[in-house]
Amino acid sequence: MSEFDVIVVGAGPAGASAAIRLASNKVNVLLVDRADPPGSKNVSGGVLWGDSLGQVIPDWEKSNMLERYVEAKGVTFLTKDSKISIDFRSKKFGEYKSGYTVLRTKFDAWLAKKAKDAGAMVASGVTVDKIAMKDGKAIGVEQAGETITSDAVILAEGANSRIAYDSGLKKKPTDEKIALGVKEVIKLPEKTITERFNLTSPKMGFASEYVLGFLDGGVKAGGFLYTNKESISIGAVISMGDLRKNNQTYSFNVIEQFKDHPFIAPLIQDGRVEEYSAHLVPEGGMSVDSVYGNGYMIAGDTAGFTFSNGLVLQGMNYAIVSGIVAADSFMEKKGKGSDMNFANYGENLAKTFVMKDMKNFSGIDRVTWSETIHNTIPAIAEDAMLNIFSEDGNPKKHLSQIVLSSALKHKDKRKDLAVDLYRMIRRL
Amino acid sequence: MIEMALEIIVMIKQVPDSSEVVIDPVTFTLNRGAARNVINPADENAVEQALRIKDKNPDTHITVITMGPPFAESALLDCMARGVDRGILVTDRAFAGADTYPTGLTLAATITKIGKFDIIFAGEESTDSSTGHVGPGVAEFLGIEQASYTSNSWVEDGKVYAERQLEDGVETVRMEPPCLITVLTNSNIPRNATLRMKIDAMKRGIETWTLNDIGLKPEWVGLKGSPTIVKSMKSIQEKKREGKKFTPDQMDDFVNELVSKGILKLGGE
Repeated sequence: MSEFDVIVVGAGPAGASAAIRLASNKVNVLLVDRADPPGSKNVSGGVLWGDSLGQVIPDWEKSNMLERYVEAKGVTFLTKDSKISIDFRSKKFGEYKSGYTVLRTKFDAWLAKKAKDAGAMVASGVTVDKIAMKDGKAIGVEQAGETITSDAVILAEGANSRIAYDSGLKKKPTDEKIALGVKEVIKLPEKTITERFNLTSPKMGFASEYVLGFLDGGVKAGGFLYTNKESISIGAVISMGDLRKNNQTYSFNVIEQFKDHPFIAPLIQDGRVEEYSAHLVPEGGMSVDSVYGNGYMIAGDTAGFTFSNGLVLQGMNYAIVSGIVAADSFMEKKGKGSDMNFANYGENLAKTFVMKDMKNFSGIDRVTWSETIHNTIPAIAEDAMLNIFSEDGNPKKHLSQIVLSSALKHKDKRKDLAVDLYRMIRRL
Repeated sequence: MIEMALEIIVMIKQVPDSSEVVIDPVTFTLNRGAARNVINPADENAVEQALRIKDKNPDTHITVITMGPPFAESALLDCMARGVDRGILVTDRAFAGADTYPTGLTLAATITKIGKFDIIFAGEESTDSSTGHVGPGVAEFLGIEQASYTSNSWVEDGKVYAERQLEDGVETVRMEPPCLITVLTNSNIPRNATLRMKIDAMKRGIETWTLNDIGLKPEWVGLKGSPTIVKSMKSIQEKKREGKKFTPDQMDDFVNELVSKGILKLGGE
């Protein structure tokens, strides 16, 4: 007999949600995390979109672990001298769910505590070496030469999937499948943030994604800026290929250029850097051949369940849903004398938005990392805006003429532009 | 003369991680809210020292005790995962606000309740108050010999030996058990617990004792039992630092700026 029903590896949103779900249903579960307190090595930009967490913590929105509710969502192109942005604010973000900004070190420790309170055993500060396999079936986990047995393993170790690689469940990612995220948390008074971002109350927040079309050496990176209660999370997600190609590119340099941009610097002025971190970010959707096998299921970032189209960056909501579905899929099998081959996890997941998004938007990374998004569109838009919004004493031109002449100026990119626009329209 | 089955007690304290404690720029008080709780570093060395004696004398039984809030359980479990046999948390609202005197008394009463012991280990001092009182205080309450600021200790022919790091050398002392030893920070490298050991520790669990269990009166412990009164506290204000950026082609300006500020002096004839 196994020592545990389920061992969950990794206390992030995926692992903790799975453990809460299982423990609340009297399943004997062990949640293991390499950090102490659990989850304190986890990093993300910091917006938890949607309300998936309500499935395991019904009163989650009352938690003081949530920073601000996103009432203002931005999408911004930055060129060296200009900022072109959509700043969407809506009172309808009450009925239409947006998201909450969170600080993950606090938030993840809280999730792990919820798992413990529900009855899970939580072991933190210890790194699992690999999944223990016997006759092609996962029978538990290995750590320091010892095997801890379980009927099933839920692998939710995050983007840097060392165990999945070492256990032969996932191939090491190519540069296109991974990006490097760097982030700083900058302390500012609550009132300053509310005023600086024109927010309607201290409970409300601003979240924006940025295309950084001005970086030294043409490095491609996306930026983000989210408001917390008393701090701002600011960071960049940098193309791994560009980092490798260009040895002069340093991640800290990219975030500094972003922070120094003339229209970003005033937003973080007088703030004190309280925390800095870096983490791998999965790109381009599902990253494993199969999300399940005999005795195991893969959830969250490890499976590549993230979404980014340049307008939004999401991951925690996918992680939570996949963790919950994994837990439910175990319970479907438990005590029925059935095998532990979790094809049902694959089927159950296919019914959720997680797999639907992965399928519908596969290949979108080619658009989000394209020259068109990062350089051509910002350059054309800047030209066009300067024409439209300036007055030089000449007769005014039609908008179409302005855009066309800008596009002609950047004609070396025209073919790429057409291809990328087609891809974009198909996938957005 | 002690038998080979040694009874060791280690006293530990859970403290906020000193690398994460920040001083509130407005109130000048320590903001512990953001810091995670860890075992006081010197206490980790004390636990390791006890475990090393157990490595050599496998019959040794180690009990780790702490006085603290309920969440100090995690510190005890951490020690148990490394190989400590028993963990006792002494917790009671009456202990709140204790200075080093009632803390020593509370721990001494706890040890008396445990009963037999040969060696008590403690860290030299805690990172959050740095008094170094509690270990020696407990030895005084119990009326036993003590060796403070030790870097190594061992048991030989029923005697306890300890090396004390002094300013001008190392002093090796020999004591009759029962005795108390305080251990220097960084005097050894604490071992890590495996997942198996962590699971076993959580399954064994800790014991929780309250004021009633150790037979002290409420007025002897906590704030009421504390003779220390903090009259006032001043914080050292950090010098405001200025920043200025120079590019590599502005090296002359950079050097001139440093000279004009008196930071750099130019040598020469």
